[in-house]
Amino acid sequence: MGFANGPIPKATAVRRILALGGHEFSSRPPDRAVCELLLRLAGESGAERPRICILPTASGDTSDQIASFYSAFGERHCDPSDVSLFRLGRRPLELRDHLLEQDLIYVGGGSMVNLLAVWEAHDIASILSLAWRKGIVLAGQSAGAMCWFEAGITKSSGRPLAAAGLGLLEGSLCVHYNNEPERRAAYLDAVGEGMPGGYGLDDYAGLLWEGEGAPSAVTARRGARAYRVSQREGEVAESPLPARFLPAPAPAALREDIAEFRRIKTMRRRAGWLG
Amino acid sequence: MKTAERQIVAFGGGGFSMESGNPLLDDYVLGLTRAERPRVCFLPSASGDADHYIVRFYRAFSAHRCEPSHISLFRREQGPGDLRRHLLSQDLIYVGGGSVVSLLGVWRAHGIDSILREAWEAGVVLCGLSAGSLCWFAEAVSGFHGEPKRLRGLGLLPFSNCVHYERGAGRGEAYHRFLREGMRGGYAAEDGAALHFSGEELSRVVASRPRARGYRLDVAGTRVVEMQIATTYLGDREAIPAAPLPEALSTAPAA
Repeated sequence: MGFANGPIPKATAVRRILALGGHEFSSRPPDRAVCELLLRLAGESGAERPRICILPTASGDTSDQIASFYSAFGERHCDPSDVSLFRLGRRPLELRDHLLEQDLIYVGGGSMVNLLAVWEAHDIASILSLAWRKGIVLAGQSAGAMCWFEAGITKSSGRPLAAAGLGLLEGSLCVHYNNEPERRAAYLDAVGEGMPGGYGLDDYAGLLWEGEGAPSAVTARRGARAYRVSQREGEVAESPLPARFLPAPAPAALREDIAEFRRIKTMRRRAGWLG
Repeated sequence: MKTAERQIVAFGGGGFSMESGNPLLDDYVLGLTRAERPRVCFLPSASGDADHYIVRFYRAFSAHRCEPSHISLFRREQGPGDLRRHLLSQDLIYVGGGSVVSLLGVWRAHGIDSILREAWEAGVVLCGLSAGSLCWFAEAVSGFHGEPKRLRGLGLLPFSNCVHYERGAGRGEAYHRFLREGMRGGYAAEDGAALHFSGEELSRVVASRPRARGYRLDVAGTRVVEMQIATTYLGDREAIPAAPLPEALSTAPAA
């Protein structure tokens, strides 16, 4: 058996999605741990300076969400950008080209219903699906996590209701699992009534799909969990998944101190001051 | 009982969003409601419900002269629960500017498109600028992002529409081209000019600036016929409403 006479098999890109139950872009340790994971995933493309783009659509492109994204990534070794569909008039860019040249596309939280409606109006879904197949990492929290699944539980209309997602991932997702009992209850009811089963994610818990097969669970805060939620003969079962803990990196100020220390050490070594 | 006169006022640009200190167009639409303290609901959907825009609305439509409210479709947990009931109880619905493509997408997702038709038929005055003007028409020229594009609106008014129709802005050229390519005839308005429709008929053009004008555009064969429409400047104290008669006639050359 061999491929000697056949065409050389083309390397297929690994399809990766990181779904997060809820986090912010703050300087608190669990938020820093999430940013570190995003940076690591973006860097796996081998890009010298990974490109990370936020789609803040679900929030209505609020300046808060965009500013906190830039404050988290602006000083890091990456090329951050935003695609604000409500603000394109001020900064024309080629949407498709810009999105397809990213290493990671991050989708912020907000209204899942509005997110999908605006994406549909601008024809973004097909671009994201292509990006995924090309190996660009797709990531997001809250509405930006549920959008990749067949369905999610959204509070876009005020109270928690089921809504359809893009369906890149099979099954459903419910976010803020520990923090919003009414959302979790609505999810368990929906799954009991025939919505495809899936996952529940606490704030600071995440699921990472890499290629085929089951996702691996990660957690940036002790106690935050990911659950598998399934239905069998009308009974809905939740089972927690073993998760890998993501340690928080040193805060920015400390990182600078460390970098400074290393620079000095290197200079000294070059100058022959150190052995 | 309210007599259901259907009214839409489509601003080419202007009102509190663009003309701070010049309330002429906003006063005009408030006046149309004939209510002592009109109920006015702002729909900032085209801006993504931008906070600063909502604040500017409340400053311009202060509680001493109307009963202002807004609906934020990105924060439904905070606003009125029953959107239909809230919108149908208004005297005036004011739609802000921004991305008309996003606006129509979000409206469809929340069923606002059919509620607005219902409100119009029930006699609620509808108005808006820019994206908030384009949305009422069957077809529109959107210049929000990159090259001007042709798109479909809600279709309450069976015409095409182009806003910010200033000379040399590039939209005029695109509008003429779209018309030659089969877009239905319609109306354009410069910043400061507003097209006031009663039912599906243009009843008059009013303006907050002395030189702002509205235009009627039609296609005759391969030629686009553009007519400037007589406009009432609202700043003249003794302004007599002008009838929508062609003030000047110009024929644009075919491509």
